Amino acid sequence: MTRRGYIIGAISLLVAFVVFVIPFLFVAINAMKTAQDASSLDFSLPERWVFWENLVTTVQTRDYALLLAYWNSIVITVCAIALLVVFGAMVGFVIQRRPSRTSRVVYAFILAGLMIPPAVVPTIWVLQGINLFKTLNGMILIQVAYGLGFTVLLYRAFISTIPRELDEAAIIDGAKPWQIFFRVVLPLLKPVTLTIIVVQSITIFNDFTHPLYYLPGRENITVQLTLYNFQSQFVSQMNLLFMNILLITIPPLLVFIFFNRQIVAGMTSGAVKG
Amino acid sequence: MSRVELKDLRKNFGGLEVIKGVDLTVEPGEFCVFVGPSGCGKSTLLRMISGLEEQSSGTIEIGGRDVTRSEPSERGIAMVFQNYALYPHLSVRENIGFGLSLARTPKDEMRRKVETVAETLQLTDYLERKPKALSGGQRQRVAIGRAIVRDPEVFLFDEPLSNLDAALRSQMRIELTELHERLRATMIYVTHDQVEAMTMADKIVVLNGGRIEQVGTPMELYERPATPFVAGFIGSPRMNLFEGDLAREMGCEVYGIRPEHLEVSETEGRWTGRVRHVERLGADTILHLEVEALGPLLARVDGSRTFNPGQTVHATPNTDKEFRY
Amino acid sequence: MRRKSPYPYWFFLPAGAIFLVLFILPTVASFYFSLTYWDPFEARFAGWDNYVQFFSEPFLVRGLTNTLVFAFLTSGLKTVLGLLLAVLLTSGIFAQGFLRSVVFFPVLVSTIGVGLLFQELMHPTEGAINLALAAVGIDGPGWLTNPSLALISVALVDVWRGVGLATLIYIAGLATIGQEYYEAARIDGATRLQQFWRVTVPLVRPATTTVIILSLIGGLRLFDLIWAMTRGGPGFSSDVLASVIYKQYQAGFWGLSTAGNVILFLMIAFIVAPLAWWLNRRELEA
Ligand SMILES: Nc1ncnc2c1ncn2[C@@H]1O[C@H](COP(=O)(O)OP(=O)(O)OP(=O)(O)O)[C@@H](O)[C@H]1O
Ligand SMILES: [Mg+2]
Repeated sequence: MTRRGYIIGAISLLVAFVVFVIPFLFVAINAMKTAQDASSLDFSLPERWVFWENLVTTVQTRDYALLLAYWNSIVITVCAIALLVVFGAMVGFVIQRRPSRTSRVVYAFILAGLMIPPAVVPTIWVLQGINLFKTLNGMILIQVAYGLGFTVLLYRAFISTIPRELDEAAIIDGAKPWQIFFRVVLPLLKPVTLTIIVVQSITIFNDFTHPLYYLPGRENITVQLTLYNFQSQFVSQMNLLFMNILLITIPPLLVFIFFNRQIVAGMTSGAVKG
Repeated sequence: MSRVELKDLRKNFGGLEVIKGVDLTVEPGEFCVFVGPSGCGKSTLLRMISGLEEQSSGTIEIGGRDVTRSEPSERGIAMVFQNYALYPHLSVRENIGFGLSLARTPKDEMRRKVETVAETLQLTDYLERKPKALSGGQRQRVAIGRAIVRDPEVFLFDEPLSNLDAALRSQMRIELTELHERLRATMIYVTHDQVEAMTMADKIVVLNGGRIEQVGTPMELYERPATPFVAGFIGSPRMNLFEGDLAREMGCEVYGIRPEHLEVSETEGRWTGRVRHVERLGADTILHLEVEALGPLLARVDGSRTFNPGQTVHATPNTDKEFRY
Repeated sequence: MRRKSPYPYWFFLPAGAIFLVLFILPTVASFYFSLTYWDPFEARFAGWDNYVQFFSEPFLVRGLTNTLVFAFLTSGLKTVLGLLLAVLLTSGIFAQGFLRSVVFFPVLVSTIGVGLLFQELMHPTEGAINLALAAVGIDGPGWLTNPSLALISVALVDVWRGVGLATLIYIAGLATIGQEYYEAARIDGATRLQQFWRVTVPLVRPATTTVIILSLIGGLRLFDLIWAMTRGGPGFSSDVLASVIYKQYQAGFWGLSTAGNVILFLMIAFIVAPLAWWLNRRELEA
């Protein structure tokens, strides 16, 4: 590395520290202050370190609402992703393997879903009609519907790299369509499935807007809504607000640390040629 | 061991007719080879027999049974693909046993069958490996094992050796021929390599542009090619074919003479030409001649004789071995 | 009789049913409901009233223009900054990998969390930003309390949060440019700046298209950040379509809310689709 590289790197590090790292430090530090200390919002170190007390208080707020929210969010994320992976791969598989008018129409609709904003109130109307409004099941299906575009896009591209001869060998071995899919193709989709799981789990876990519309009610609270709901209560307890932010940022942080490569692959999948 | 009969088989892709009416009978236990230039429809024909491709019209019978509308798995066939098509996520054992496991064969029986097949193909030591960890020849054997374990009436091969290097290819040729002798099953084999066709086939089917050009044993095709196309296609180096003045002089439209049926002399002969290029193969030497009024002419001579580019030589056709069309 | 395809269409069924019922059906229904007076109890036909209202009531018109300003501002900034950052972070500087992670991480963090954090940081008198500015003698503005500044402030935070994704996409795009173009340009005597304009910019076009389109769609649809930071305030000064849709829904004006949704749909269709077409065509010509 050149001297110039070191200098520019050092300057960049400094700027990045101020612009990107300090805000997070601000959260972390304030999450460890007492309420009184945190109310001044400045950048001093805590007078007294009360990390554990704040954590316990935040978790206990409103009858352990944060734990309930974690549970709900995890249920929604896990179930939605399980359905997305299986159903999305099935769609991507047939679209890629059977180029026909029907396939093209289905693909066009699903891609349109990447662009078109959902019509929220009519969706609520539909959910009410099928008794899924305000239910976790409804929320799960909504996340499946909204995540399908991305999922099918990635699966279709990946399946095109799997030789068709494998399907044909299985056909001759007597495999039924679902056996070709579940026993030959799906196991080969592992890398792209991991990418989809990682990216979609962050997206669904961080989703605020859709639970806000489709999943009102105390017992249905999700992680992102805890912040929103506690906001009024925390006005005088900034330390707890920041502790809450900290607590809901941890899962994406862990995913980021362990699955950096998959995130990059997923996020840039449209980059080189969309 | 079954007879395969194709009757007026046709295939269109979009508006384009690719197979233009094929009638063919492959006898039980026969090793039948489809040859022809690239794009002539060999793979398409084979895939129609397998059922992977649906025919546009015509019928297919295997073992006296009309299978025209049957699923591939119900036709009593097995297929070996050019790129092996081994399931990458399964071990050799699971690859060979895949069809059996789909058919819910009892575990013991499956194990026994797979191991028997593995033994005949010398794959016993590799049963737990994934295809990635095998050499090209071993992968090819696994693909063949997967076909054998189905105990099919007919084996179908689509250019199975084209991904192997020359040495391995000739070894696998011998193994396949031995396999055929042992199993006595009907085999249909697609290649564009005429050495494979000549050495392995009981019967060669020459395809051209979606039609059968000629059917016969290797020696029949060599000795009595029915058309100039077959004459030019079978035999290496290829037959010299002439239209125009020479053909008219000979009383035909196309006149043909194989390079090995030309007598080359330094002193005298029917045609006089100049040596343009000398290809030494060891036992034989191929001369590329330029003959006045004829154009390029290939001749095969004994490897012990020496010729030099630029030299003037004379060539005389063996009149018993001429072809006139 | 045709034999069955090994790739049957019923594979579309599970996903298709969910998609059809929960996405397509509401979208189609929205066109009808946008033409009604609709509340939790009934839907009466209203003709174009909701649309007329949208284009005449000042606070709703404000929402429309704000949406456009916000989308183009954030998209432009993300494109420019994303490219510059990507060039910087591929030039082989010290701690490059770490810097990439740092820039990208906000993309993965809860938007609501980011919004609330910056709400505190941008507090006019006690916020860290203005305290820092005061320390160097600058009197910082009321970032979120000044009606003419609130929308811009949120836009800046959105850029802070989203530039990492643009950077990542540009880095992937830059990786596809062969080193030989730069070598050829250097042999031709191009300066670094000329290399940037004559080689990098034209050859990362596909990435640019992706970044522009993605960030434009994201900007037009943005709701959570605005809601966390200003709830459209002060007054209606930072309202965008998505926040108007939510407010009207909350107020029980479902028809009006749905009309907003249809307008957002049409806006995306008529801005993004032609733009995508135009950018792709230029790409082919280039
Ligand atoms: N799915 C398809 N759609 C349209 N045309 C096709 C399709 N498959 C094959 N063809 C055309 O049919 C013709 C025959 O193809 P085929 O694969 O049978 O040739 P081949 O004899 O096996 O050639 P090769 O020796 O190169 O494998 C070719 O002209 C090919 O372009
Ligand atoms: Mg072929």
